[in-house]
Amino acid sequence: MSNTSEELVQLTINGNEITAPSSLSVIQALWHAGYPRVKSVGCLEGVCGSCRVLVRREDDADVSMELGCQTLVENGMQVIFLVFPTPTHHTYQLDEIKNSWDVQAQFHRIFPEAQDCRHCGGCVKTCPKGIDVEHGVRLANKGRFKEAGDLFIECIMCNLCMTACPELISPNHVGLFSRRVTAYFHIRPSNLINRLEALRTDQLQIIK
Amino acid sequence: MSKGTPYKEALARFQQVHGTAHELPDTSVDVDALLRDHHPDHLGGSIVDLEVGANRGERCHRQLADMLQSNARIDEADLAGAKTVETDVLIIGGGGAGCAAALTAAKEGARVILTTKLRLGDSNTVMAEGGIQASIDKDDTPQIHYDDTLRGGHNLADKDLVAKMVLDGPDVIRWLIKQGMQFDVDEFGDLLTRRAGGTTADRVVYFRDYTGLEMMRVLRESVLNREIEVWHYSPAVELLSDEQGHCAGAVITDLKKRRNVLVKAKSVIMATGGIGRMHLNAFPTSNHFGATGDGLVLTYRLGAQLRDLDSFQYHPSGLAYPHHLAGTLITEGVRSAGAQMINAEGQRFVDELKPRDHVSSAIIRECAEGRGVDAGESGIGIWLDTPGLDLRNPGIINKRFPKLVQLGKKSGIDPAKTPLLIYPTLHYQNGGVVIDENGQTTVPNLYCVGEVSGGLHGKNRMMGNALLEIISFGRRAGHVAAQSGYQRRHNKVSIAHLGPMQRDLTLAKMPMDLQGPMLFPDYAKFDSDAEYEGLRKTRNREEE
Repeated sequence: MSNTSEELVQLTINGNEITAPSSLSVIQALWHAGYPRVKSVGCLEGVCGSCRVLVRREDDADVSMELGCQTLVENGMQVIFLVFPTPTHHTYQLDEIKNSWDVQAQFHRIFPEAQDCRHCGGCVKTCPKGIDVEHGVRLANKGRFKEAGDLFIECIMCNLCMTACPELISPNHVGLFSRRVTAYFHIRPSNLINRLEALRTDQLQIIK
Repeated sequence: MSKGTPYKEALARFQQVHGTAHELPDTSVDVDALLRDHHPDHLGGSIVDLEVGANRGERCHRQLADMLQSNARIDEADLAGAKTVETDVLIIGGGGAGCAAALTAAKEGARVILTTKLRLGDSNTVMAEGGIQASIDKDDTPQIHYDDTLRGGHNLADKDLVAKMVLDGPDVIRWLIKQGMQFDVDEFGDLLTRRAGGTTADRVVYFRDYTGLEMMRVLRESVLNREIEVWHYSPAVELLSDEQGHCAGAVITDLKKRRNVLVKAKSVIMATGGIGRMHLNAFPTSNHFGATGDGLVLTYRLGAQLRDLDSFQYHPSGLAYPHHLAGTLITEGVRSAGAQMINAEGQRFVDELKPRDHVSSAIIRECAEGRGVDAGESGIGIWLDTPGLDLRNPGIINKRFPKLVQLGKKSGIDPAKTPLLIYPTLHYQNGGVVIDENGQTTVPNLYCVGEVSGGLHGKNRMMGNALLEIISFGRRAGHVAAQSGYQRRHNKVSIAHLGPMQRDLTLAKMPMDLQGPMLFPDYAKFDSDAEYEGLRKTRNREEE
């Protein structure tokens, strides 16, 4: 990983002063500098949501939430790894929802806080994937679950919006609920159903 | 490796020929010779014979052999005073296979503990974005799926296992939809299908280029909402055995509380995934941080038979530039949608939809023979012609491949305009623990599912068969483990099986100071992390 021809930058990660080539991600820089790092490391590709970091850049008062494997180090950057939060308190099982007419009532029973959204925008600001989280919650409240779910296609369940929400809505779980009920009640592909029927009636066998 | 054309010069040349049709030159080659000369499995000195264990005398990759023949991380003294917990089914590993097994076993009434080294869902599943194979297209049948899988694996796969898997395919998709997973459908609501390297029909169903992400977030939510006990940051460090040497549970290290726990289980399902983070032959990898082959090491110590330990998959399209993203995967979906591969001379050189080992070997050959693109310290590679794909199918990249677009942003490259430089990346362990059609290993009460198991892919896996395998066999093992658990009582358990193993290691003059399983890649420095000092008293005691 040594890379001497590149520009070196200095930054702080979890309070440690670190010097690393500018082409490295925050996690790579930590390893490069010889610090152990086991927790908060996952796929290293930006899809698992494990490596949540708070970032403040030089000459910028703003703090942003990012993913440590996706954020390249910069001079004067301050980075702190966040602990992954405990899971949401919302529980539900899809097979408790009797039919698709019942989805909206069940949604309000499972996620009662969703209607209390203050539109503070905290969830939108924290989302490392740039999802319009707040709008998604609004759509789910209206019962427009397919549309709500589609907003969350890139959601990696990093739970940052959950951490940010003052009303404990767990917006990412609202998004996932919206996606799941859409699949559970509305994806009925005829090509799949025909094939299942052919298998059930033993029309398709394997000759080894 | 001979140097290729410098990056900038090669890019200029690429852009000169961009927009013209690239004909495929005559690529009739002797595939066996191509693999022998260029596939990393055949690199000189990388294969050794195992000296101890059930596969003694058989071929194995050198780095894996070191771990299989390593000493345990714990001994009896580490277990003194350790808490003991009992369950029906213990599942080790929290990826797609472990979740499918847990959901099935729990639904059938078994008490289930699922323990995972990192968090639930931290796995290769979440990164497997290309899709899942299931024969549902009108021009396809399970028989064709079976034939393609066997041929892709050089006719070395276990035919009985493959037959079960392909027949399970359509029901696996239904099961996933019932968990709440979405798939891309056409205007009539039918599942969209596409080809994969080595398939002779359109068979891969998918969700954008986020299939594994969608699968994993749904399965995780499903598991967390069932009566399943989930232990995060809790790797297995040893299996437990009873007086007959059967599997009886596992020793779990709780990394948060920094202590060992004994879990007595009537059945154990190992679902620990692959070995990419062993970085075989110093290759970069597309694998998850936790993919260090732990399950292979633990099952082998308890006497399980393994297979095909000399066969690994190097995925053709790992990113080669920029340097800090080396090894990151670009889904095969991009090639199955029609993207071509172009060498530094502006030529195609292989049918992009041949099986992965064939395509990877061809890329390595191009680079070895000087027709690669030299990106300096990033290494060498060839072009994945995404601009050509977008030219022929305007907008396809933004519409179908959002993850590729994200990767482009991180690389400072717009894949719709500029080609990406790729080189093979260590991707998959083709072999693994020998299983039967229910995931049962040669050790009673021990099951293996997913990448840790072997036999389904012969010596080369096709795209989309891994996601199918994890659900198909995860459900099978979950079902059988739940049933058989009811009929047994908990036995006296111990780690007594380590005794004979250590004697064999000593007789074979193996280095007893190398401990396994690896748990984390060496650059994470777990073994020097002061936070976990208390877990290493074995070694400290020996040093005193």
